[in-house]
Amino acid sequence: MSYLQAPFQSLGNFISASFLTPIFLWFLTLIPVVVLLYLLKLRRTEVLISSTLLWRKSLQDLTANAPFQRLRKNLLLFLQILVLLLLACGLGRPFIKAEGLAGANLCLLIDRSASMQTKEGTQTRLDTAKQQALEMINSMRGGDKMMLVPFGAKSEVLCELTDDRVRLRQAVNAISAADTGTKIRDAVSVARSLKLSVPDLTVVIISDGRIADLDELGRRDLEVNFLQVGESANNAGITAFSLREPQEGRGERQSFVLVHNENSEPLKTTLTLYFDEDVLAVEEVAAPPGGDREVVFAHPSLDEGVLRAELDHDDALPADNRAWLAVRPSASLKVLLVAEGGATGAYFLQRVLALDSRVELSTLAPASYVETGGYDLTIFDGFAPPTLPLGSQVYINVAPPLPGVRFEGTFDNPPVVSKDPEHFLMRFLNPANLGITKAQKLIAPPDSRALISTTGGPLVADVSRGGQQIAVIAFDLADSNWPLHLSFPLFVQNLLAWIPRGAMAQESSIPAGSALTIMPDPEHTDATVTLPDGTKQSVALSPLRPTFFGATERAGVYTVTRSAKEPGAAGESFAYAVNLADRNESSVTPASNLTLGRGEVQGQRGTIKQNRELWRWLVLIAVLILTLEWWVYSRRAWV
Amino acid sequence: MLTEAAARNTLLDPEFLLKLERLAIAAKRVQLGVTKGERKSKRKGSSVEFADYRDYVQGDDLRHVDWNIVGRLNALYLKLFQEQEDLTVHLLIDSSRSMSFGNPPKISFACKLAAAIGYIGLIGYDRVSAESFNSAGTQSLRPCRGRISAGKLFAFLSAIKAQGDTHLEEACRSYLLRNRSKGVIILISDFFDQDGFVECLRRLAQANCDLYVVHVLSPEEIDPPMSGDLKLIDCEIKAFTEVSVSRTLLKRYKSNLGGFCEEIRRACLARGIGYVFTSSAAPVERLTLEVLRKGGLVR
Repeated sequence: MSYLQAPFQSLGNFISASFLTPIFLWFLTLIPVVVLLYLLKLRRTEVLISSTLLWRKSLQDLTANAPFQRLRKNLLLFLQILVLLLLACGLGRPFIKAEGLAGANLCLLIDRSASMQTKEGTQTRLDTAKQQALEMINSMRGGDKMMLVPFGAKSEVLCELTDDRVRLRQAVNAISAADTGTKIRDAVSVARSLKLSVPDLTVVIISDGRIADLDELGRRDLEVNFLQVGESANNAGITAFSLREPQEGRGERQSFVLVHNENSEPLKTTLTLYFDEDVLAVEEVAAPPGGDREVVFAHPSLDEGVLRAELDHDDALPADNRAWLAVRPSASLKVLLVAEGGATGAYFLQRVLALDSRVELSTLAPASYVETGGYDLTIFDGFAPPTLPLGSQVYINVAPPLPGVRFEGTFDNPPVVSKDPEHFLMRFLNPANLGITKAQKLIAPPDSRALISTTGGPLVADVSRGGQQIAVIAFDLADSNWPLHLSFPLFVQNLLAWIPRGAMAQESSIPAGSALTIMPDPEHTDATVTLPDGTKQSVALSPLRPTFFGATERAGVYTVTRSAKEPGAAGESFAYAVNLADRNESSVTPASNLTLGRGEVQGQRGTIKQNRELWRWLVLIAVLILTLEWWVYSRRAWV
Repeated sequence: MLTEAAARNTLLDPEFLLKLERLAIAAKRVQLGVTKGERKSKRKGSSVEFADYRDYVQGDDLRHVDWNIVGRLNALYLKLFQEQEDLTVHLLIDSSRSMSFGNPPKISFACKLAAAIGYIGLIGYDRVSAESFNSAGTQSLRPCRGRISAGKLFAFLSAIKAQGDTHLEEACRSYLLRNRSKGVIILISDFFDQDGFVECLRRLAQANCDLYVVHVLSPEEIDPPMSGDLKLIDCEIKAFTEVSVSRTLLKRYKSNLGGFCEEIRRACLARGIGYVFTSSAAPVERLTLEVLRKGGLVR
């Protein structure tokens, strides 16, 4: 049977490749019906003639010549069949792949992530992409509009839907590469929302296909054309660089480097580790094709400074050959515990907090509590101050002095029914078999997040506001077995990492494109950020809450200098390391197709080929033929 | 039945009749006649034209003995003269239903033509006999002579009605059996006979007469003005043919018609029969005065 199936299969392939709604092609089966109707409906005029002798002979001659003579002679029938054929094909929405842009409205998503910096010949992939974008702009016709959305770790609308080619060209030329990973989600959302108001929008992605978040795009409701740039290129890069603090004061600091080899040949090179500008170590690195190699350096004594790892390898993507780490002296966390002396909860808290060497713990009785400030974290156990103090706070079995947050009634033996696994405080936590005998019924505003909930409401909630991080635990620790539970010390550890200073202490390096956290300090009101290329940007600081600095698209060392209040005094400087360190970007081999949501989009090269629908032409021809049919019908003598 | 005068006027106009009076039927061969007439006969008889001598046999009329020869040779010879007898003009008219078609109808054309030829015959003292035949029945005009019989001929022809089917061969056979007098046979028909025309021509040729065939078709048959999807019904056999008229079909029809006429012409030629094709729209006058004259039927 296979010799029969093959032609059917290729026919099927042809149909599915040429028609958008091939189901309508079943209308073609109506053609025999038309023929049948034609034969049935044919009312012949009866004409009495002297003799049919010659007619019979003539007819015999003709039918002897061609078996379908009768049909062939019926021009009308053929025109009708042709009309039906055209309409059925038109309903099937046939299309051809045509070069250039047919759609009047185009949304151009241009990848500017790190992998687009890959050199191919004399230019980078981004140069090629920009060149293709410019070609598209040049091929725009009157009335065509284009929108430019470059995307890296973040997306921005560089140029809204416009037909101003000069602006579009300027915008394309202004696109620069970033040392970031690739996230297309926001760009696709922009295209999706634009599609709502501009239904004939054509979306074109120019990329090398190394996009990290394709599987997060959800359902595929957007027709996307993927213009692929990039050939396969050889590259090796640092895909991870991190610092490991000594555990509980023992051991020594270690730095960890992961080298990825994207070459088709084994990698053999050297990795040099610098501290500021001094060479600390040189290590031979060998990695198999497509494989990774990890290198660990031990640092018995490291002062404040910047660690730099450099891979001595001349490859297509130099951006990932270097990585940095900011080494800071271990910052101390000032924690104040306000609780009655001898309270069970306070006891457990003290024990757990003492485990972290960074914590400088002070304890106060509620009676002697005065708002002083200067604490990174204040824990109120069973007592709340009349006004909200500065810094981050945790309230245990008491409502914080916040409008909209209060206790109303109690729960007895509330079971834990859900938790918020997305929240930072709930990392690694499983509070499922938590036993609580009595809890307060917490009423929290809608913008708060319930972290652990029972059937009637939250037991633990994040009620942060205005940059101050505030958590509420709505039960007395003494009324629960939580302090004895494994999740309790983990929760406290999360708490310490959650508060801004703790977070900063952990940030020896951040991925390119994410924000730097600059801690609040009442002493300073503004700061200067020195970018890796030496340019400076000033930032106004908030005295109370952390300030975020987001222009971190280039990898390297960013120095934040808080200017001193008194003129002439030296400012305070911090170094921040921003790294590419992205496995997905270092693997520069381009992907030939994109899996967008549930559908796959085949990549195209060179110029974009777009589906151009033909149904309008088919219907037009059908109408013309219908007119012709009527004309023929009214001039039957001519037939 | 129309009166003779009315029939005369209906069929042929008087001017044409005057023209016809100058014509005579030409007989190509010398035939035996029936009665005394103005045609040279195979018989020896009593005209003034000398033919031959023969020996006297007992019983011969002594008045025909050539006495000059007796005086010179002393032998009895009889002087023979050419006999003059009449000629019979047989007018055979196909009156099947198919002949009623056309504008003007073929039958009226046939009757007019028969009237013209018959009139010429009557003027020339020939015996004129006419018969119309179809499957429904045969009408005959007994042989008649002289200008006086013209009215009778015209009345007969005017009364002919087209009906029934065509059976040419049978009609000819039956007619020839009943009429053995030699002369000129003129057959006027459209030759739309399901059994063909060859047998009919063969039988006519056996009659040993001067033969002429006039093939009449109406203009509608020569160039059909039809179009569209038609059901063509044969008026005689009632068979129908469904056609969707197209240019190709019309072309094919015309070429078939040409072939049909050519076939008859060839069959006639092979048997020494004069063949004339005419449209029923052609003027009878022209046909008689020019075509038949050229063809040798009249002079």
